[in-house]
Amino acid sequence: MKSVIIGQYIPGKGLFYKLDPRTKIIAVFLLMVSVFLFERIEQLLIALGVATLLLLVGKINIIRVIKGLKPIMILLIFTFIFQIMLNKQGQKVVEHDMYFTLFTLLFLVIAFILWRVMVKITKFRFTFFFLFVISIYLILRYVDYGQTIIQPFNFTIYEDGITMSIFVVIRLLIIITLSTVLTLTTKPTDLTQGLEKLMHPLKKIGFDSESFALIISISLRYIPTIFDEANKIMMAQASRGADFSEGKLKDKLRQVISLLVPMFIIAFIRSEELANAMESRNFVPGEPRTRIHELTMSYRDTLATLFSFSVLILSIVLKVI
Amino acid sequence: MGIRFNQVSHGYTSFADGLYTAIKDISFEISDKNEFIALVGHTGSGKSTLAKHMNALIFPTSGTLEIFGKTITSKRDKKIKYNDIRKKVGLVFQFPEYQLFEETVEKDIMFGPMNFKISKEEAKALAKESLNLVGLDDSYLTRNPYNLSGGEKKRVSIAGILAMNPDILVLDEPTSGLDPAGRRVLMDLFKDIHDKTKKSVIIITHDMDLVYQYFNRVLVMNEGHLIFDGDPEKLFREKDLFKNHLDYPNTIKVLDYLNKSLGINLDIYKRTIEEALLEIKGAEKL
Repeated sequence: MKSVIIGQYIPGKGLFYKLDPRTKIIAVFLLMVSVFLFERIEQLLIALGVATLLLLVGKINIIRVIKGLKPIMILLIFTFIFQIMLNKQGQKVVEHDMYFTLFTLLFLVIAFILWRVMVKITKFRFTFFFLFVISIYLILRYVDYGQTIIQPFNFTIYEDGITMSIFVVIRLLIIITLSTVLTLTTKPTDLTQGLEKLMHPLKKIGFDSESFALIISISLRYIPTIFDEANKIMMAQASRGADFSEGKLKDKLRQVISLLVPMFIIAFIRSEELANAMESRNFVPGEPRTRIHELTMSYRDTLATLFSFSVLILSIVLKVI
Repeated sequence: MGIRFNQVSHGYTSFADGLYTAIKDISFEISDKNEFIALVGHTGSGKSTLAKHMNALIFPTSGTLEIFGKTITSKRDKKIKYNDIRKKVGLVFQFPEYQLFEETVEKDIMFGPMNFKISKEEAKALAKESLNLVGLDDSYLTRNPYNLSGGEKKRVSIAGILAMNPDILVLDEPTSGLDPAGRRVLMDLFKDIHDKTKKSVIIITHDMDLVYQYFNRVLVMNEGHLIFDGDPEKLFREKDLFKNHLDYPNTIKVLDYLNKSLGINLDIYKRTIEEALLEIKGAEKL
């Protein structure tokens, strides 16, 4: 839970902390659009370089960002593999037969057990998962003796498959890095305030951006609170013998109910309390409110907006040419 | 032997300031019979953390702890059935909302015993028995736990633990949020359970009057350290409680005030109001 970096603000003092949230939202949006407009792999690589450069300029700990990428890594790997396997255009790069024999099965089981054991005793879970995936491939390819269980099948990788998969992965990497920079350097409250201000013009078509922003900021605010409450409920029920890590599946299902019901009730109690507290402090939905921190723009914001605009224009120009 | 703490420390990792140590280097022992212990300390002194260790809900970060012969370390031991520990040491949480969930009080109280593989009929009997024990009559069995008053909810949640028939009963602030009469009724109830069954009872409280009146052993926590373990009277005689964010019982305060303002010499260490009154009346005669 704690390793997930998206949506987690870390206090700091870099350049991005000084930017107005509105600027950051717009800039991230523009940069993302331009990332989708790039069509050549060199351009994307340069864009990735620029994104890393931005991290350096903003004095953001790159290791933190990489750690935050971990949960998304699985997604990236899957997209990579599927792109490679399913894209059947361009020249063939690799082509050979794959075998699935009794021995393959045996080797697969050994590899699986090795993987699980290594994961348990060492810290590098991810590396071992990677090694496991690679070993599956190697086993399928080279273990060809013994009785075949299914017919040998053809394994081909096409040139376009490789380029496309690299393309998709780099694109995703850039987008995730950009949004991580946004959420790492902007307080959730600032972020919602920025969104609120940006969506203010939509009021004309009946979209109440203030309520929307309030809903978002309250729900963000209550994630850790609800998490704490869930923890307490779990402990209270564990005291009554509902240990979620012991027991059979059937018992566990029953125990989940013992968690959910108090969870909902406490959420309702909490929200009623919050509503009362807000009303007793004169909150009226829809009425104009003043703020302690008004958002202000500075020369930095102009520069950042100019930068993101020029990247967008560049990408459009490159696309047209 | 009941519970033994061997230099137990527990730290919470928090996002802002790294490790926060809630309890530090705690060692003491609770026997499984005949103990009636109060656990006091200011808010945030680590009382609840200590209580959660007692039935292995959380594990010590360092040090070990023995609960009915099972050694609890910082790591989860697969050989230990933690559920068995929780059956032996019943922990009642401060807020009943965290555990009530069934449609009827009876079902809710049965949840604990049923988790320990007790037949439905037996669990029903236990539910009725423990509900009566906490001073609620049978008409409550069919009521919805969420439609009860705060005090009644509290009693039901205590009944839920009592029905498990634990050897040691740990209660986290069972008297908070109750009126004075309700407090006394509950305290009498715990004392009664203790006297009848000789079970060890550990109660977390802030109320020094109750501590002085009911308990013969008190544990005092201050900023994560266990600073006192022994007789309450000794505590009031020896320790400067104000320094530890605590207070003296009202009897002591009143008698002490009388001594100081009237220049007389009363024995200030009186457990109950009645005893204090007798002392004052005795002084009047002189």
